[in-house]
Amino acid sequence: MAILTVENISKNYGKIQALKAVSFSVPKGCVYGILGPNGSGKTTLLGIIMNVLKATSGTYKLFDEVATDAHRKKIGTLLETPNFYHYLSAVRNLKISAAIKEHGEEDIENVLNTVDLYKRKDSPFSTFSLGMKQRLAIGAALLGNPDVLVFDEPTNGLDPVGIAEIRILIKELSAKGKTIIMASHLLDEVEKVCTHVAILKQGSLLASGTVKDVFQESDIVQLAAADKEKLRCILAELNNFLRLDEVGGNLELSYESGTANLEEINRYCFDKGIVLSHLQIKKSNFESKFLELTN
Amino acid sequence: MNKLLKIEWLKVKNYTAFKLLSIFFCVGVVLINYAVYAINKNILANSTGGKLLASFNPYNFSNTWQSTSYTTGFLLVLPAMLLIILITNEYTFKTNRQNIIDGWSRNEFIMVKIIIAIIFAIISTLLVVLTATGFGLLSGSDFSLNQFSHVGFFFLKALTYNMFAVLIAVLIKKTGFAIGLYFIYLGTENFLSQMLDIASIKLKNYNGTDLGSMGDYLPMNAADGLLTFPDNPLKSLTRNILPTDYFWVVISLAIAYFILFVVWSRKKYLNADL
Repeated sequence: MAILTVENISKNYGKIQALKAVSFSVPKGCVYGILGPNGSGKTTLLGIIMNVLKATSGTYKLFDEVATDAHRKKIGTLLETPNFYHYLSAVRNLKISAAIKEHGEEDIENVLNTVDLYKRKDSPFSTFSLGMKQRLAIGAALLGNPDVLVFDEPTNGLDPVGIAEIRILIKELSAKGKTIIMASHLLDEVEKVCTHVAILKQGSLLASGTVKDVFQESDIVQLAAADKEKLRCILAELNNFLRLDEVGGNLELSYESGTANLEEINRYCFDKGIVLSHLQIKKSNFESKFLELTN
Repeated sequence: MNKLLKIEWLKVKNYTAFKLLSIFFCVGVVLINYAVYAINKNILANSTGGKLLASFNPYNFSNTWQSTSYTTGFLLVLPAMLLIILITNEYTFKTNRQNIIDGWSRNEFIMVKIIIAIIFAIISTLLVVLTATGFGLLSGSDFSLNQFSHVGFFFLKALTYNMFAVLIAVLIKKTGFAIGLYFIYLGTENFLSQMLDIASIKLKNYNGTDLGSMGDYLPMNAADGLLTFPDNPLKSLTRNILPTDYFWVVISLAIAYFILFVVWSRKKYLNADL
């Protein structure tokens, strides 16, 4: 069962195309990261799914059905920034959220304890720090113990301890079988908590799938020689590598993990009349893979 | 709808601006009518201008319905301002987005605001009824429902003012700008209304074409034009006492404008990015 299915969603703001025919599917029980640099369309996409923005074209389904407000009541959502009545206390704000979701108020104390705001439950929202506001928004999303949670930049404004706590919370929720859709520009965050990922850049979907598939490890061989252009020409004749790039004055050959052979490459270059001045192998990490995809 | 209203009550019951403006309006209705009542009782009734004027009491039954409705009409900007504040606050603090995210439909959100505008109009009208009855009894006259229709005109005016406030709030979204525009529009429409009235008279004098008081065909003036202060006996001698020249045209227009504001606000909210 797919919790969310996005089909060719596009969104234009005047002449700016914020989303370009994005399609992907979120399976039940996963932690799905929507990853991309600022302005890539992550929040716009979640805004459309939560009905606060209108898609220019395309459709989406929730729980394998045409999305309705009743479906949205089953989803706990933190979108962009915490949005609460500034003059009301934490507990009164949660009462409003609970009433809209048609849940009882019995959950509120529990949720305030989970996000460590119980002691400040009667303080007006306007007196909260950014981190406390964020925690209250996460608390509101947890009301009614929903099976699906949507978090847009959930660790925004939190201190390192708060960030760690939220990540632990997300993992705990995931372990309980909840489906979590999380937008983030933080690679580290996605790497640590997500099982699946969709990568957006300037409104386009670059890749989607399991984290393991999308961020498949590879071997990167760095090479340098006095005659770089000749080196580039002879390397291009090789046929077992994935990519040839120039990075920081060196040439880099990408191979599937475990398939690069330095001795063979060195011999091949020597036979072609090139003496390498630099030859090194390194493993691609999550960050380099992301940069590779987005650049 | 009951559930939606309960949630709206949770939102506003602890909001200082709501409490202050509500109290200010309720007290203001009594005070402004008392001021007119006192001026008539203590100044005009003792005037040496003639027996006709001295015998005129705008707060006697059945004048009281008309006088209170007309006088209270000046304060209708207060509930309108409150509505603008309540709706634009939802945009400013993005709580309207949160309500939708939590599971309200867009239609539920805008409809409950429209219902609140109607409730404000009903409460304002009830206040007028109570105040008019109070001053009528204070005047020592016998209770009468004659001219109670003016309370209905007041209700229509309150509906129009409130619904226009909802529309402006939904269109402008920023509290200060919305309130500013609301008042600027009221002023501009009044000016246009005067111009149109002059044009109506000129047209009638020129070729006899009678289009009525065209100023009263504009949105706010259509609701406003139905409400007049009771003519004192001297004034009645000199002019027609009907509130407008084309009563049914104006009342139909007022209702049509109200419906237009409802449809426009709803359409805008249902289709816009929040």
